[in-house]
Amino acid sequence: MRFQKKITNLLGLSVLAVFASSASPAQSIRIPPHEKIVFKNGLTVLLLEKHGVPIVSFDAIVKAGAAADPTGQEGLASMAAGLLRKGTKTRTAQQFSADMDYLGGSFGANASDDFTAISAEFLTKDLSRGLELFSDAVLHPTFPQGEADKLLAQSLDSVKGAKDDPQQVLGLYYNGYLYGARPYGRPDGGDEVSLKHINRDAIVKFYETYYAPGNTILAVAGEFNAAELRKKLEEVLGVWPAKSVPAVTIPATAPVKGRRLLLIDKPDATQTYFAFGNIGTTVNNPDRVAIRVVNTVFGGRFTSLLNEALRVESGLTYGVQSSFDLRKEPGTFGIYSFTRNETTVQAIDLALQVLQKLHKEGLTPEQLASAKSYIKGQFPPSIETSSQLARRIAQNEFYGLDDNEVNQLEARIDAVTPEIAKLVIQKHFPGDDLVFVLIGRASAVTHAVQKYAETQDARAVAEPGFWPPPTEKK
Amino acid sequence: MRKIWFRSIASLVLCLMGLAGTRGRAQEFPVQTKTLKNGMKVLVQSDHSIPNVALYIFYRIGSRNEHPGTTGLSHFFEHMMFNGAKKYGPGDLDKVMEANGGSNNAYTTRDTTVYQDWFPRLALPLIFDIEADRIANLSFDPQKIQSERGVVASERRLRTDNDNGGLLDEQLWATAFIAHPYQWPVVGWMSDIEHWTMEDLKHHFEMGYSPSNATMVVVGDVTPEEIFQLCGKYIEPITSHAPPPPVTTVEPEQLGERRLVVHKPAELPLLLIAYHAPKTNSPDFYALNILRTVLFQGQSSRMYQQLVDKEQIALEVSSFAEPAFDPTTEEIFVQPKQGVDPAACEKFVYEELERAKSTAITDQELEKAKNIRLVEFYQQTRTISGRANTIGTYEVFFGDFSKLFDAAKNYAAVTKEDVQRVAKTYFGANNRTVATLIPENEQKAKQ
Repeated sequence: MRFQKKITNLLGLSVLAVFASSASPAQSIRIPPHEKIVFKNGLTVLLLEKHGVPIVSFDAIVKAGAAADPTGQEGLASMAAGLLRKGTKTRTAQQFSADMDYLGGSFGANASDDFTAISAEFLTKDLSRGLELFSDAVLHPTFPQGEADKLLAQSLDSVKGAKDDPQQVLGLYYNGYLYGARPYGRPDGGDEVSLKHINRDAIVKFYETYYAPGNTILAVAGEFNAAELRKKLEEVLGVWPAKSVPAVTIPATAPVKGRRLLLIDKPDATQTYFAFGNIGTTVNNPDRVAIRVVNTVFGGRFTSLLNEALRVESGLTYGVQSSFDLRKEPGTFGIYSFTRNETTVQAIDLALQVLQKLHKEGLTPEQLASAKSYIKGQFPPSIETSSQLARRIAQNEFYGLDDNEVNQLEARIDAVTPEIAKLVIQKHFPGDDLVFVLIGRASAVTHAVQKYAETQDARAVAEPGFWPPPTEKK
Repeated sequence: MRKIWFRSIASLVLCLMGLAGTRGRAQEFPVQTKTLKNGMKVLVQSDHSIPNVALYIFYRIGSRNEHPGTTGLSHFFEHMMFNGAKKYGPGDLDKVMEANGGSNNAYTTRDTTVYQDWFPRLALPLIFDIEADRIANLSFDPQKIQSERGVVASERRLRTDNDNGGLLDEQLWATAFIAHPYQWPVVGWMSDIEHWTMEDLKHHFEMGYSPSNATMVVVGDVTPEEIFQLCGKYIEPITSHAPPPPVTTVEPEQLGERRLVVHKPAELPLLLIAYHAPKTNSPDFYALNILRTVLFQGQSSRMYQQLVDKEQIALEVSSFAEPAFDPTTEEIFVQPKQGVDPAACEKFVYEELERAKSTAITDQELEKAKNIRLVEFYQQTRTISGRANTIGTYEVFFGDFSKLFDAAKNYAAVTKEDVQRVAKTYFGANNRTVATLIPENEQKAKQ
C-alpha cells in the first residue's frame, strides 16, 4: 500500500478508501456483519463486533465539515472539532486529557471537506469510562475563550510551519487554484488570514448548528457485546436532544477549461514539487471501480506507468503518483511528484506524455489483469482492525454506500474490460484541459514552464493564504 | 524524525516504545522458530483472520557498518535489491509481485536493513522464489546503478535538504557523535551518494547479505510447517559467509554541552536536543520508556502541559529513541511557535528534566504510563504487518523475540525510583547536544 500512503504524505490529504475488492478466489473477503440502529433522537448507530484484540474503536461522523465554513472563516469546522476536548461542562481541557491518557485512550477530531470525523479508542475493560469521556466531548463542550484563543494561535502557526515543507502544502495550493473560492478549494484548516476572522462565537454557532444526533453517524467496532453496548449507548447518547439541522450544500463543479499554471516561489527549494490535473468525480460515481482499476495501472502503484517512466527508467524522482480524491461532489484528480529544479520540465513533459499515451492506447488485457489482482491482494489488510472497520462503515453510511462496496467488489473488479477502461479514460482522465501548480525556486524554472499554460499566476510561499487570498477574490 | 530511510515514500514507524501491560503479561501469540542450516533464523506466527501474509527479512547491517566516503551505501543497496537478480531481471521483481497481488517496501536504519513483502497467501511460493533469487544472485547493472543514484538523491532532497526537521536532525547526530559511525546520516552525504562505485556495492553485498546475518519473520495465513518447507527449498541452499566485521568504535563520554545553529529561510524555528542514552538491549530501557511517556506522551504529559498548554511557546514537543545495537540518543523535538526564541523552550525543557530528577513522579503518572504502554502493545500487534515488525525488532534488538512477552513484567517492575534514577543518569547538561534552526528573516530583523 506504499503508494496509498504516499498520497496522504505528499498532499496532507486523507484519501477516502471506499474502493475495495475481494480477496483471493479461495476466500472471499466480506465485511463482518454489523447492525444499524436509529435512536429516537435521530442518531444513527452502527455496531460491529470484532473479537481477538481487547480494543473498542469509535468513529463518529458529523455531516458538516470544512465545506460548511462561511467564506472568509475557513478553518471554522476544524476549530470546532479541535476544541471538543478542550473543556466540557464537567472537565477542564487538562482534566479531560488527564482522564483520557490515564486509560491509555485516544481521542481525535478533524474536519475534512464533507464531514467532521471524531474518533476514539479504548481498551475493552475501560469501555464504560471511555464512552463517558467520548460523549462528554461530543455532547457537552463549552469552548472556553482561553482554549479557543490558544487553538487559533496554534493553528495559525501550524499553517506557517506547513509552508516550510512543500509536501504538506502542495495539495492545499492545488485545490485552491483548481476550485478557487468554491468549497473544495478552501483550506480545511484555514489560512493566515481566515483564522484571524474566527472567534469563539462563530465556533459555538457552528457547533450548535451542526452537531446534533440526527446529523451524526456513530460507528463502534471491536471487542464488545453488541446488545450490552447498545443499551449503554442509549443511556449515554439517547439523551442528546434532537434538533433540526440545515443541510450543507456543495455546488457541483465542472472541470476547468483550458490551461492554467500557478508557480509558488520558495527561494530555498532545491527541487520543484508539482501537481497537475483537473476536477475529477464523485464518490458515488458508477464508474468508481473501473476508475480505481485504471488509475492503479496509470499512477496508483509502484509499477504504474507514471512511476516506471519518471522513477524506474529515468531516476528523475523518488516517486510519482496519480489519484482521484472522491467526495460528495466532484473532487480532484491529480498527478503529483517532485524533481530537481533542473529537471522540472523533463519530468512534467514525461508525465504529460504518459497521460497522452493512456488516452491514445488505453490499457492492455495484461495490465488490467495485473491491476485487478493487485487491488484484490492488497485489500484485506485495509479492513483488518476495529478502527479501520469503524471508519469504513461510518463513511459508507455517510455516502450512502452499502456493504457491497466490499462484498461485491471482487465481481465488480472482474467486470472491468479493456473497452470499459477505454471509456473510463475518456470520461474521467483529463486530456488537454489541465491546471498546474508548482512549488519551487521560481527563478530557476519560471521561463521554462511558461509553455504549459496560456494563463500564468505567481505568488510567494510567504504570502498569506493559498489561493485565492480572501482579499483578492477573482 | 527522519532517521529511517525507505525505498519508497510510504512511512512506517519502527516502534519499540511501548509493549506491555500493567498487570501480568499482555496477550501472547504463539511463534514457531527454526534455524536453517545456513544460519538464518525463521520465526512464524499463524493468523488466519485475513488471507494475507506479511514477510519481513531483517539484515543486521546499516549505516553503522559504513565508512566515510561510502556513507549511505546500506540504504542505496536496499534500493538495488529491487533492481534485478538472475531469474527476476531489472523491474521484474515489482512487476511480478504486483501482478500476483503483492506489494513490497524496505527501510534502512543505522543498524538494520529490513525488507517487507505483503501479499495474498496464494503468492507464497512466488515470494520465496523472488527472495531467494535476490539474496543468492543479485546483479549489478551499471545503468540501474546510475538511475537509482538519481532516485536516492531525490529522496535525500525530499527528506533532508527540503525538510527542516530532517536537515537539523542530520546536523544534530553529526555533532553528538564524534567517533562512532552513528554520526553520519543513513541516507548518506550527497557527495557520497554521487561517488560510490560498483566495487563499493559488491563489497557491501558480500559483507552484509549472508543468510546467517538475517532473520525472517512470517505472520499471517500460513502454517509454520509450510514456511519451514519453503525455506528448506528456497533459502536453505544459499550458502553463508562471514558476517560484517564488528563495529568496535566506542563513542567516548561527552564532557560538555555541544551546540550548533542552522540559519536558513524558514517560517518557524526548530529545536532538537539529544542526550546520549544506552543501547536498546539495556536494563534501563523500560524505565526510560516510562520517563519518556510521563514527560512527553499525550496532552496530559508534563512537557505538553508546560510548553504547549501553559506557556504557549511551542506547537509540539516529543521525544524518542530509535532501536539501536550501540549506545544511542534520546532525542527531544520541540517545534517553537513563530518568533519564539528556541532558548525560551530550552529553559522549560530543562526545568522539567530537573523536576524529574529531584522529585519522583507520582503513582498516578506511573500507572498512566503503564496503561499507555499496554494500549500501544495492542495497537502495534493487531495487524499481521505490525506483528511481523514487532517480533522481528525484539528478536534483532533484544536477541530474543520472547522478550516481547516479558515486556509487561518488565514494565510492571519499574518503580518511581527507577524513573528518577534514569532521569539523573542520562539527562545531564554535559551529556547533551543542542541544535537550533533560526529563520534567516528573524535573524535579520534582530540585527
